[in-house]
Amino acid sequence: MEPLSLTLPRRKFLLLTAAGLALPLRAAAATAISPEAVISSWYRLVLELVRHTATYSPPVASRAFGYLGVTTWETVAQCNGLQSLAGQLNDLTPPPVSDQPLDTAAVLHGALTAAVGKLFENTGPTGQRALQAMVEKLGAKVADGLDPALAKASLDQGAAIAGHILAWAATDGGAVVENMGFPQTYALTEGPAHWVPTSPIRMQQLPLLPDWGKNRPFAMKGDLPCGLPPPPDYSEDPASSFYSEAKEVYDTGKSLTDEQKAIARFWSDDPMLSPTPPGHWISIFLQIAERDGLMAPQLADGLARVGIAVADGFIACWRVKFEYDLLRPVTYIRRFIDPKWDPLLITPPFPEYPSGHSTQSAAAAAVLTAIFGPDFAFEDATPVADGLPARSFPSFDAAAEEAALSRLYGGIHYRAAIDRGLEQGACVGAFAAGLKTL
Amino acid sequence: MRYLLPLLLASPALAEGPAVPNFVAEPGGIAHEFTGEWEFMVGGGVAAFDCSGDDLPDIFLSGGTAPSALYRNLSGAALSFAKAEDSGLEMDMVSGAYPLDIDADGITDLAVLRVGESRLMRGLGDCKFEDASATWGFQPHDLWTTAFAATWEKGADWPTLAFGSYIDRTEDLFPWGSCTENLLYRGRKGQFDAPLPLKPSFCPLSMLFTDWNRSGTPALRVSNDREYYKGGQEQMWHVAPAEPPRLYTPDEGWARLRIWGMGIASNDLNGDGFPEYVLTSMADTKLQTLAEPGPETKPRYADVALAKGATAHRPYIGEELKPSTGWHAQFADVNNDGYADLFLAKGNVSEMPDFAMKDPNNLLLQRPDGTFEEAGDRAGVASTLTGRGAALADLNGDGWLDLVVVNRNGPTEVWRNGGTDTAANWVALVPLMEGQPNRNAANAWVELRAGDRVQRQEVLIGGGHASGMLVPVHFGLGGADAAEARVIWPDGTEGAWVPVEVNETTGLAK
Repeated sequence: MEPLSLTLPRRKFLLLTAAGLALPLRAAAATAISPEAVISSWYRLVLELVRHTATYSPPVASRAFGYLGVTTWETVAQCNGLQSLAGQLNDLTPPPVSDQPLDTAAVLHGALTAAVGKLFENTGPTGQRALQAMVEKLGAKVADGLDPALAKASLDQGAAIAGHILAWAATDGGAVVENMGFPQTYALTEGPAHWVPTSPIRMQQLPLLPDWGKNRPFAMKGDLPCGLPPPPDYSEDPASSFYSEAKEVYDTGKSLTDEQKAIARFWSDDPMLSPTPPGHWISIFLQIAERDGLMAPQLADGLARVGIAVADGFIACWRVKFEYDLLRPVTYIRRFIDPKWDPLLITPPFPEYPSGHSTQSAAAAAVLTAIFGPDFAFEDATPVADGLPARSFPSFDAAAEEAALSRLYGGIHYRAAIDRGLEQGACVGAFAAGLKTL
Repeated sequence: MRYLLPLLLASPALAEGPAVPNFVAEPGGIAHEFTGEWEFMVGGGVAAFDCSGDDLPDIFLSGGTAPSALYRNLSGAALSFAKAEDSGLEMDMVSGAYPLDIDADGITDLAVLRVGESRLMRGLGDCKFEDASATWGFQPHDLWTTAFAATWEKGADWPTLAFGSYIDRTEDLFPWGSCTENLLYRGRKGQFDAPLPLKPSFCPLSMLFTDWNRSGTPALRVSNDREYYKGGQEQMWHVAPAEPPRLYTPDEGWARLRIWGMGIASNDLNGDGFPEYVLTSMADTKLQTLAEPGPETKPRYADVALAKGATAHRPYIGEELKPSTGWHAQFADVNNDGYADLFLAKGNVSEMPDFAMKDPNNLLLQRPDGTFEEAGDRAGVASTLTGRGAALADLNGDGWLDLVVVNRNGPTEVWRNGGTDTAANWVALVPLMEGQPNRNAANAWVELRAGDRVQRQEVLIGGGHASGMLVPVHFGLGGADAAEARVIWPDGTEGAWVPVEVNETTGLAK
């Protein structure tokens, strides 16, 4: 990790952007639309496609954000003579380069057209229609005022960079997701401590993506990085730590304050009904980027780091989930405390320990703290379109801790999964934060 | 009239499961397609009702970008239809239709759902119709209309209509969250008032006025497509006379459910007097039963689809293991064994590779213990075309319910139900309130008693997927050869139990 280059105080960071540090090194002409607008337009659409593409459970969404972030960064880096992530990310080789003059906005449009088109090729007819409209409408703006030969060369180069990233993505183990991520066959672990289905939905009688933890990480190095100790020993003894943790979930759920309910709903981030937890953190970064007018290199850097952090977070988390394969609170509580108890949130269809939202939130917070500093206040309006009020946070860590605790309020995680998840996320995030870019 | 055979309660066939009806593909001259791309990825309704006065249901088919069509029913033992020319129902951009007698003149009218302005078509007799929208003061909005339901509120001399609409179709880049307004039309003295918006609106694909708690005042259930709403959920509205519509709230027991809602059907499956509801969706079907039925029940439902074997979550034939996509739902006793079965029309939305492309329709036969058994393939209706709307109705008057399925960008399919190997009786009942505004007794409950078992159905105008019927209420009787029937009329009046002829259609007048 290079704290000096990454942990910039906010004032200095903005000064650098305003000073034009990120001026394109090889730009040949200016389009009618800025590179920043190209990136933000595509990401706005991506946040919708994540919500409206059936395979996009949170782990799958995190993977897409990882590869889109790398694609965006490699494009901006090449156009600006900045450090590639090739050689830093596992198995990523340098993307192809062009010796022609290029327009950054057009290269970005070409890259994101190819990358989003591939990663969301399974989206439904409305998503396909929106994709096509984005390609055409944004493409028209990109081409406006640009020499056609330059526009074509730029778009082609963007597609070539994306093609390189997508070829790399195809080998990570997570490229093919069938049956919405639910295996057709899977042997549940026997024993009272282990996960059993909690949903009446037929396909959720087997756990989501049991092999996701075997995927190739982006930035994490080493053998089984960011592992966790086991959860408290399973016990049905009311005097045990395990029972106490379940009782805490139950008692909390029975006495939720309006504020606790609001927190649970705010971070609920249900698949198919929100941008998912990783999309929530991408949205947080995009809101800050818009508010503060980040230039393309900073914008791409943040998208890459947050995307890599959440993607690696889900890989690390899933590996541990299926290592310990712990039952959910609703199962335990109904067995031993209250057979009629219902949690506030929908219990996700996979093992409990650790909390995925906690892991990936802490990972995202780690890289954002590295970029913006430890006391960076912000407002998050991600779920406002769904009728929930925005929330303000004094720091990224505070937001991650609230996201983690929301799972206790929601009745879907024990305390240990939350605390260890945050620790795991900090470990994961350090890898992404340590990448050399700007 | 069918001849009765001895009841074989312990026969091997019953021990092995419900008798499977033999559906025979028999288009009978119907050659029709529901066509179109994005704006017709949903819809594709069919309406079954008698417009010719011969007591056989005629068939109206939506066409999408193709013209809609009315087929006169000429069936004898075999199904036979003739396309009506100049019926007045030939129009474009039609997504669905529901028959009802708006003006209580004894001639069925038709609410036609369109992408554009919907229309109210007045029946003139002999399968002729005229656009009475303006005459009746109906002010349609230019919407992508996808759902419909109707009722007659207490004391009203004119029906109350609910129209559900889908996406703002001018939004190409960001259509999500652009659900347009659902509208409630009330009226009096032959005229509809300006519609009331049902806010918030969450892109419904099915609506149903239903007396869910047997209070005598139907509520409006709305099944919404989560693909397009933001902050939405399934809804149920209080629709009390002379009061603004009001959503059921969590304080009243309404529990949040968010699905790709595509179709609704109801039936009192467990005999407790309250309707169960099936909700079609993608990858899973919901079968809801009241969590705590009783006089003070709250609208809190348990999903029993998994327990009852009614999830219909993926194809049961062919090689594909991908999730399934459900549209029209209808309960009907297709094998006349006295237990309502469940038909689900299936079909991919539009080349969505994460979902089955060859997605067979489901025919879930109900067992006496309330669980279901898939028999679509054995019955012959497991078509893998892209199903949307459908109608199960007795098209040839033989007492076995036949089937019409509208497929998107594919031929409409018609099957004649050739019955089962097991003899079974049936009853068809026509509740009628002659001279009253609600002539066909919408939201009445028709009950049939054979021995100590009572079956009941609510008379509904709405639900399914863009498809409605106005046909006799059909009950199977199994081997029972005697039955009594009664109607609990919409005003709560309980009719007397009266013997009814088996294997006949009987009118029950108020």
